[in-house]
Amino acid sequence: MIDKRVFKFPGVKPAAAIMAVLTFIQAFMIIFQAKYLSVAIVNLWQLKSVRTIVVPLALFAVAFLARHLLTLSKNWLLYPFVETTTKTLRKQFMAKLFDLGPSVVAQKGTGNVVTMGLEGIDKIQTYLMLIIGKVLDLSLTPWIVLIYIALIQWKEALFLLAIYPLIIFFMIILGLAAQAKADRQYAGYQRLSNHFVDTLRGLPTLKQLGLNKTYANNVYQVSEDYRKKTMSTLTIAMTSTFALDFFTTLSIAIIAVFLGFGLMNNTIQLLPALIILTLAPDYFAPIRNFANDYHATLNGKNALTAVLDILQRQTPTDRDLLETRDPVWRDDDEIRLNHVNVSYGDAKKPTLKDLNFSVRGFQKVGIIGASGSGKSTLINTLGGFLSPDAGQINVRGTAVPHLDQRAWQRSFVYIPQAPYLFHATLRDNLAFYSPTASDAAVAAAAAKAGLTDWIATLPDGLQTPIGEGARGVSGGQAQRIALARAFLDDSRRILLFDEPTAHLDIETEVELKQTMLPVFDHHLVFFATHRLHWMNEMDYILVMDHGEIVQQGTPAELQQQGGAYVRLRSEMEGATVK
Amino acid sequence: MKGFFATFKHDHWVMPYLRRYKKLLALVLFLGFMTFFCGGALMFNSGYLISRAATHPYNILMIYVPIVLARAFGIGRPAFRYAERLTSHNWVLRIVSDFRKRLYEAVEKQAVAIRQTHQTGDVLSILAEDIDHIENLYLRTVFPLVIGWLLYLFVVIGIGYFNWAFGLLMLILLGVIVILMPLLSVTVNGRREFQARQVQRTFYTQLTDAVLGLGDWLISGRRQDFLAQQDAPIDQIAALRRSDHHFQWWRNFAIQFIFGAAVILLVWWAGVMFTHNQAEANWVAAFGLALFPTVEPFADMSQGVSEWPVYQNSIQRVNALDENEPKQVAQTTIGALDELKLDHVKFTYPGAQREVIDDLSLTLHPGEKLALLGPSGTGKSTLLKLILGDETPTSGQVTLNGEPIARLQDQRASLFGVLDQQPYLFNTTVMNNVRLGNLNATDEAVMAAVKAVELDDLITRLPAGYQTQVQEAGSRFSGGERQRLSLARILLQDAPIIILDEPTVSLDPITEQHLLDTVFDVLHDKTIIWVTHHLAGIKHVDQVRFIEDGHFDMQGTPTELYRDNPRFQSLYNLDRGR
Repeated sequence: MIDKRVFKFPGVKPAAAIMAVLTFIQAFMIIFQAKYLSVAIVNLWQLKSVRTIVVPLALFAVAFLARHLLTLSKNWLLYPFVETTTKTLRKQFMAKLFDLGPSVVAQKGTGNVVTMGLEGIDKIQTYLMLIIGKVLDLSLTPWIVLIYIALIQWKEALFLLAIYPLIIFFMIILGLAAQAKADRQYAGYQRLSNHFVDTLRGLPTLKQLGLNKTYANNVYQVSEDYRKKTMSTLTIAMTSTFALDFFTTLSIAIIAVFLGFGLMNNTIQLLPALIILTLAPDYFAPIRNFANDYHATLNGKNALTAVLDILQRQTPTDRDLLETRDPVWRDDDEIRLNHVNVSYGDAKKPTLKDLNFSVRGFQKVGIIGASGSGKSTLINTLGGFLSPDAGQINVRGTAVPHLDQRAWQRSFVYIPQAPYLFHATLRDNLAFYSPTASDAAVAAAAAKAGLTDWIATLPDGLQTPIGEGARGVSGGQAQRIALARAFLDDSRRILLFDEPTAHLDIETEVELKQTMLPVFDHHLVFFATHRLHWMNEMDYILVMDHGEIVQQGTPAELQQQGGAYVRLRSEMEGATVK
Repeated sequence: MKGFFATFKHDHWVMPYLRRYKKLLALVLFLGFMTFFCGGALMFNSGYLISRAATHPYNILMIYVPIVLARAFGIGRPAFRYAERLTSHNWVLRIVSDFRKRLYEAVEKQAVAIRQTHQTGDVLSILAEDIDHIENLYLRTVFPLVIGWLLYLFVVIGIGYFNWAFGLLMLILLGVIVILMPLLSVTVNGRREFQARQVQRTFYTQLTDAVLGLGDWLISGRRQDFLAQQDAPIDQIAALRRSDHHFQWWRNFAIQFIFGAAVILLVWWAGVMFTHNQAEANWVAAFGLALFPTVEPFADMSQGVSEWPVYQNSIQRVNALDENEPKQVAQTTIGALDELKLDHVKFTYPGAQREVIDDLSLTLHPGEKLALLGPSGTGKSTLLKLILGDETPTSGQVTLNGEPIARLQDQRASLFGVLDQQPYLFNTTVMNNVRLGNLNATDEAVMAAVKAVELDDLITRLPAGYQTQVQEAGSRFSGGERQRLSLARILLQDAPIIILDEPTVSLDPITEQHLLDTVFDVLHDKTIIWVTHHLAGIKHVDQVRFIEDGHFDMQGTPTELYRDNPRFQSLYNLDRGR
């Protein structure tokens, strides 16, 4: 009924304890309210003067107000706990994201992670707000009311008690059946919703094929089919509500009739009868409320599971094995990989197998291979975004289990195919790794990266906002912005490139290459690509195939040896004009 | 309130459906009303029943009618509710089917315009969500509100029947709950909703930014900055939610307060009105209890209405869709392709200054093959849009056999086949997906097309062969295979002109070579316009043109260019890795 994990949040116990006390008092207010209203009515029924109902009505008013003020206070008292908890959860979630790094995003999907941080935690807030109050209400109020009824008329109390398990039984039986089907249906709904969005996205294709007009009927048909299926499920789901409703309402009717007979036979007086009748709806109210909010509760519970799953993940330890030094990488430093295996998530077979190579000082290392050969995985391992599951890595003579080392990460710039541009000003994007850099330094770095002309065309120069939803930046310019980051931070002497030019048109690539080559001096460069001309600029080449390094050496050596490198080159070159 | 009427002034998405499905709507409202009527009547009748029984009538038959009624109302309430929920959901889902079709048609008409004003496909998801919002508008706002008002009128008229002055008092008192409170809710919420949307958007943007740029954050080592950046919106969200809740609690308390006053006044009035003799006094309990079941629907009205600002947005957005429908041009048809001609074409995007296309002329005859190159943003894709007729030149014209392309849009699918960057596969079987190229194609023709694009081996090896669902096999089809399926579609479509819009941009060089070989092999007799970003496979065309700033720069056959043009030569050599 209530998730045990809720009790692990700090501050939940005092909050719940106060809530329990207030709920307890509230139950008595419910009883008083029913009692004094009945007294007033019975006085009138006995044809007493209107003046005799002043006191009972005043007491009713007091009890009624107290009851609703208690609801208000319960919310008021619970809310700070809920607010602090959700706020903390959000902040913990963000901190955890930072500590876990991009691999968790890759695994869960960007959209998923964003939804979790935004709507997911909102749902948890609703859940916490609902569940504690509802559960306390359900476990206290009906029973206090029932005991009071039993004190005046045990037979009716017994009937009310007996009907309760029956309601729960039907609720569970029908609810479970409906739920299982409804969940499936919900999945179906998601699919339909996606199908609809996909259809809208596929419109250009439909238009190209001349099917755009006729497909409208298909959209309608799919939606109608879904409606029919949904209605059959809803019928079951609503039957469960119906059962609950039916038993509670009919119980009240039956109680009324019982009481009627009792009154006729003189086994009961009007006042107690009226109190019981007034109290009966309040006896059933908590369970009905609980059932009404079932879906909100379920959503909150699922969101909680998803968020806690992230929060409870192990963050990598040993992140400070590599000593900090400025600059981290010097001329005579060496990195060596020995028998390193890397695998993604739960994959059984390692993606990278038995990697062995070593690089010293400022070398330019090309990584080449067909798609799927493991080039990107190797770059991700070198960036510390993935941890090896076997083998040794040795940096500057220090053995480290992975490269997720703080000191190491401050030593490189990572430039993927599409460098991410933050929704911020161009200046903030350029100075992302060194936010304290002076404006002159930023401008100088931008100039070195060949951005000056472009910046001159921007309305606010370096202060122009860029990134998603703001000004569009072409692929070539994005690469240059990433390069400028390297120019700006001289302590970052390692450059990791992952297919930086694959999607650029050839002329842009040529221009970019001219800007890039000077940066390569005095840097250790790892350059993964399938654009062959870059290999001519490299000092050393790793040829990859199916997750293994099948050949390594200087370009000249490899050319001479023949084998994988030469084969790959000739295959990639294709046929020639002439 | 002004906003409310303004929203519906030019509405053709909400009101027309209320009118079209009048009868079902009336049924829903009737059933909803009956649900609460039975709830109230059950308490009314029970109050009378036990009061009458307490007078010890000499015969059970004297209370026989109330006994039967108690059961009838007891069964009636859940039964009506059940029927109401089924009918209203069915009604709404039926409308949603209409909506989907309409939205599809609206988007279909303006696919180009939408793509132009909104870069990403997000707008499509937003529109799809809007439909869900309108669905909820009916279920959560419109129905509860109208049913609540019906109930309100019934109560007021019922009391007014006995005493018009007291009826008037109730009209005012309950009016506060059912009219004033909803108005207050919508005003307060409307203001806050605006704020909330802004805060939410900031947080959403920052969170997406943080998640997508997580790698860069990690490398930057700026953990404190990362966390501090999220703090402000997290606190703002919390503050907003808090004031939201506070308002709700106080509003609900106010509703209960007024309701309590109404109950007291009602009992008092009953005491004055019905205490002349015992027979009359039996009605006191009836009036005293009858009001309680109405508090729930009355309170729900305010909650439902406070969601209005969200719905309002959606309604405005979908309505705005219909407003800028493109002009229709009289259509004609042409016979076999003779000549595709661009005559001094210029183009500027509406509102922009720069001429994207600046005086381009070009003539293509059947079977000719043209490659277009140029940096991104130089007008390659705009040129394709002009050729297809998605955009109209600002001056000059695009003609097929002398007929302007705008007049040939109905015939478009039989003139042009398009292979673009992301071929769209629909969620159906492989067979159906390919057959989309020509719905009349026989299975044999489809298989022949698949064989021509060299996918026959792969498809026959799939578990269900040609009947395999594309969705399930999605992961099985690589980028190159998707392009090939799409190519098979184009073969069936058999249009004389084929547009290739960077179909190989995301493929590795080896896959790219093979795909291009197949494309030019199977399309050898077609007229081809191929936009490409580098020179792989350039030998397949007989004309190469470079676009720079909206006009042609270098042009010639690949062989000529290689021989005579040093720039082309160096680009070509670079592309081949030399």
